[in-house]
Amino acid sequence: MLRFATRPLSRRFRSGYRWVDERAGTTDLVHKGLYEAVPDRGAWAYTLGSATLVLIVLQFFTGIFLLLTYVPSFASAWDSLRFLQTSDRFGNWVRGMHLWSAYVLILVIGLHMLRTFLSASYKRPRELNWVSGGILFFLVLGLAITGAMLPMDNAGYWTTVVVTNIPHYLPFIGDAIRTLWRGGDFVGPITLTRTFAIHIWVLPFLLLALIGAHLYLLRRHGEFGAWVNYSTTTDDPDREIAERIRRAEPPYPTLRIERQYAAPRKTVGFFPNQLFKDTVVSIVLVAIIFVFGFIAGAPLDARADPATLTYVPSPEWFYLPLDQLLVLTPQTYLIAFGVFLLVGLGSLALILLPFYDRSPARRPLSRPEVLVPGLFLAFMVVILAVLGVNRLYGL
Amino acid sequence: MLRLTRRRMVQLTGLGAAAIGLMLSIPAIGFLLSPLFQKTRETWVRVGALPDLTVDQPKPITLKVPSGEAYDTTPVDRIAYLVRKSDGATLVLTNTCSHMQCDVHFDPTLQQFLCPCHGGLYDVHGNNIGGPPPSPLPQWVHRLEPDPQTGQTILFVKNAYDESI
Amino acid sequence: MLAASLTAVPGNLFGNGLAVALVVLLHVQIATFITGASTLAVVSESIAMARNDPRHARLSHDLVKASAYVFTFGSAVAIFFMIWVLTALWGLFFVDLQRITFYMFVFEAAAFVVEIALLYSVYANWGRLEAYRRARLGLLVLLAVVLWFQMFFINVVASYMLTPNGGDVNQLSQVLNPTFLPLQLHRTVGNIAWAGAVLAFYAGLRYLLATRRARREAAVGTVPARSVGAMSASRFAPGSPPPAARDSRLPYWDWLGQWGVLWAVGLSLFQIWIGYSYAKEVQLHAFPAWFRMMRGALSNVFLVQIFLLGMIFILGTLYFWRRMTASGARGTRTQIVCLVIIVLATLLAIQPAWFALSLPDVQAAHLDRPWWDGGLLNPIGDFIPNKVFALVVIMLCGLVAITSYLRAYSRGEVRMGETTRRLQGVLLALGVTVSLMMATMGVIRENSRQPFLIHGELRLQHQQIVTTPPQAPP
Repeated sequence: MLRFATRPLSRRFRSGYRWVDERAGTTDLVHKGLYEAVPDRGAWAYTLGSATLVLIVLQFFTGIFLLLTYVPSFASAWDSLRFLQTSDRFGNWVRGMHLWSAYVLILVIGLHMLRTFLSASYKRPRELNWVSGGILFFLVLGLAITGAMLPMDNAGYWTTVVVTNIPHYLPFIGDAIRTLWRGGDFVGPITLTRTFAIHIWVLPFLLLALIGAHLYLLRRHGEFGAWVNYSTTTDDPDREIAERIRRAEPPYPTLRIERQYAAPRKTVGFFPNQLFKDTVVSIVLVAIIFVFGFIAGAPLDARADPATLTYVPSPEWFYLPLDQLLVLTPQTYLIAFGVFLLVGLGSLALILLPFYDRSPARRPLSRPEVLVPGLFLAFMVVILAVLGVNRLYGL
Repeated sequence: MLRLTRRRMVQLTGLGAAAIGLMLSIPAIGFLLSPLFQKTRETWVRVGALPDLTVDQPKPITLKVPSGEAYDTTPVDRIAYLVRKSDGATLVLTNTCSHMQCDVHFDPTLQQFLCPCHGGLYDVHGNNIGGPPPSPLPQWVHRLEPDPQTGQTILFVKNAYDESI
Repeated sequence: MLAASLTAVPGNLFGNGLAVALVVLLHVQIATFITGASTLAVVSESIAMARNDPRHARLSHDLVKASAYVFTFGSAVAIFFMIWVLTALWGLFFVDLQRITFYMFVFEAAAFVVEIALLYSVYANWGRLEAYRRARLGLLVLLAVVLWFQMFFINVVASYMLTPNGGDVNQLSQVLNPTFLPLQLHRTVGNIAWAGAVLAFYAGLRYLLATRRARREAAVGTVPARSVGAMSASRFAPGSPPPAARDSRLPYWDWLGQWGVLWAVGLSLFQIWIGYSYAKEVQLHAFPAWFRMMRGALSNVFLVQIFLLGMIFILGTLYFWRRMTASGARGTRTQIVCLVIIVLATLLAIQPAWFALSLPDVQAAHLDRPWWDGGLLNPIGDFIPNKVFALVVIMLCGLVAITSYLRAYSRGEVRMGETTRRLQGVLLALGVTVSLMMATMGVIRENSRQPFLIHGELRLQHQQIVTTPPQAPP
């Protein structure tokens, strides 16, 4: 168990703080923000959520710095980044951190979702936490793919061509979507400006709004944890649960839920216990990004060349499974079927998971009806990624 | 003094909000949809004399064609594969895969066009023979005219594909 | 004289090819089973330790015993294969192949030494190690790792022969040849699925044997016994013998049968896509072999393979449906719907795309028109998009069927021991189907390379060339 020593603040600081507190209500705010019960077991797994938040903040931070140099124009985008890479001592580092934190972010979000999925934390009354989180995941994927288009090097250009062409296979409205995104039939100057607007304004705005909702909902219902936090140990489970609910600290007991899962067996304070672990994980992740951003940086291919005879386009690694799916679903109807029906319905099924998995069971092995498709999907993603790597990067 | 019930108040506010929404969305949506109604500025480019071609041996040439969309007027380098068929006709194929519009490469050992993105295969005449492509390689819209002075065959290319892909 | 006897190879191309095919098919089924079984043994033993499950404890021991016995027989086959078939009948080719993939063969053969030591230690000391279960599990894990390691190297050789990709000069591109990773995934998943199918087959057989005597007795008894559920009811009927000996075994065989089916059918879901990607890599990197496989002389053999693939899922779903019915579980309607859709999809997928041996034949006869226009083509049987669509549908329905069965199982609605004798026939058929499937795949893959032994590099006739003996100088 961690112990934290407290020390009185200096008198001058205290009087200054009191002045602010009287006017802004800081203490109240800090108390509301920090003092909250969380389940005691599995705390390291709960750090994934806060790590996601830290990484998204890092994305905003580094992204704003990139805007100081980057020009969203078909003619100058590559030149501005070339300047950033070669003439600016720290430019490549910032860009590297933007890229690597995006990579780490996608991994961490994936783990966060997996944790929530396995522990069935999305069940009543936390359905909307899952829905908002699921939409956030797809927003981040959208940000990642639009971000990959912006440099207007060969990689970015061909990513733009392929990604903006995918809607074309949507029945009826596909061609219109492609034309609207590209600003014409071909990838041109308007395409870049539109993608830039989506990457800088549209998706981040939605992202911020949903993060607010996600955090509010988390605070309202409290961290669920996993079924281990709710198991009973005595011969009289009813009495044990009643005692647990009576002694629970806010936000527990969670309302409108089976009694057994209303309050965890044992809780610890968010501050300092959980916050300490959150900080450790965040420091490690940011340090990794800091180092990789410096060592590996962000690659910049040759200037976009629509007339290349040799360039082999390859997607970012997190889109490899989808790219391989495109290989495996040939020709018009299968593309429409494979990409839009399977992936679209699959994504929808993922977001709407809490609305059809409503059984009281929380243990993974007791709910094979979601565990089996979930594992199938996870294995399929890994297998498709490996096959994609083999196809694109094989010798 | 104006007397309003709560219900009336809510109705009026709702109407006002709808009016604001309408006023904002008419220009915004119109602006957003404008690319659908813009016409491409058609341009014919004189590429030059048709080079000597071996039958069924695609030969890549670089064209300078403006896309003619939006404010884009600068000619961009594009590729055309010239293929002489055995009956004497000449194909002016684009290098744009009909699947996801990647750049196809010609593989001389297999005598096939290969799309590196998703493994689409085309024969030397641009017919899709394997993999995901739903249709043959599109051709550039083109015409061949004899030069009145020299008698050479001159290739003209328009900034359009002769098949919507 | 000496040179001639070194290079002249006995037999003819056809006979030697048949010999190598037969031995290889036997060899593959044995090697695949050992690799898959050792992995399943690790899974079983882990579950047995975590949940204190006596069935899994028994199964892991059975799997180790089976691996040991099969390994003994398998090494005999392997030695026969190496010495007699490869060295004697295919000497020239084998020497060349060994020269190129020397390190792969060295590592592969070295793995045998470790395997023998590990497998026989675990097998002979199973009881003694009962007190040290973690150590025993560690040995099992080690055994599985070595087996996968060995498969890795032999996969390099196998995939190299189809898509060499300059691997004779560069060892790295020999390992990372275009079909290596797809083959590796295909076999990783397939080995375990095959072990599952063998388990299902064996369990079905043992169940039938165990109930044979009981059935005879029941036939002369008063209660007509259709199922074991009925038989256990007949236990209390006057005049029937005490069935104590039977009861302890039957639930185990029943449980083992469905456990094997779950592995076999569940993992085959992935195989459809991995196999498709594998064929795609062959198309991109060994086009003539792909052409022979999909449009040439082997295209109709390929239809057999698709039929067998469909049969795996049909039999699996049929088993789940009847097994759930036998226990009166809920959700059988889902199984029936899945079964019907899978059957329809299989019927779509096994349509030939042309009514001739190969597509070039059709084109040569100038009959490449749809059959309703008097040609020989059948557009309903086109691989793209119809067969691909059918395969996707089969995969999705298979997933739904497995999920539905496991849902019933996890709610305790499928009780072990309540199965029918007829259902064991499905298990036997599934085992045979998977076995045939492996054989067909082997035949297709090995023959697609013709006329090459190593695609684009080493011709089949290489074997038959007798170099003229050096002449004495005049």
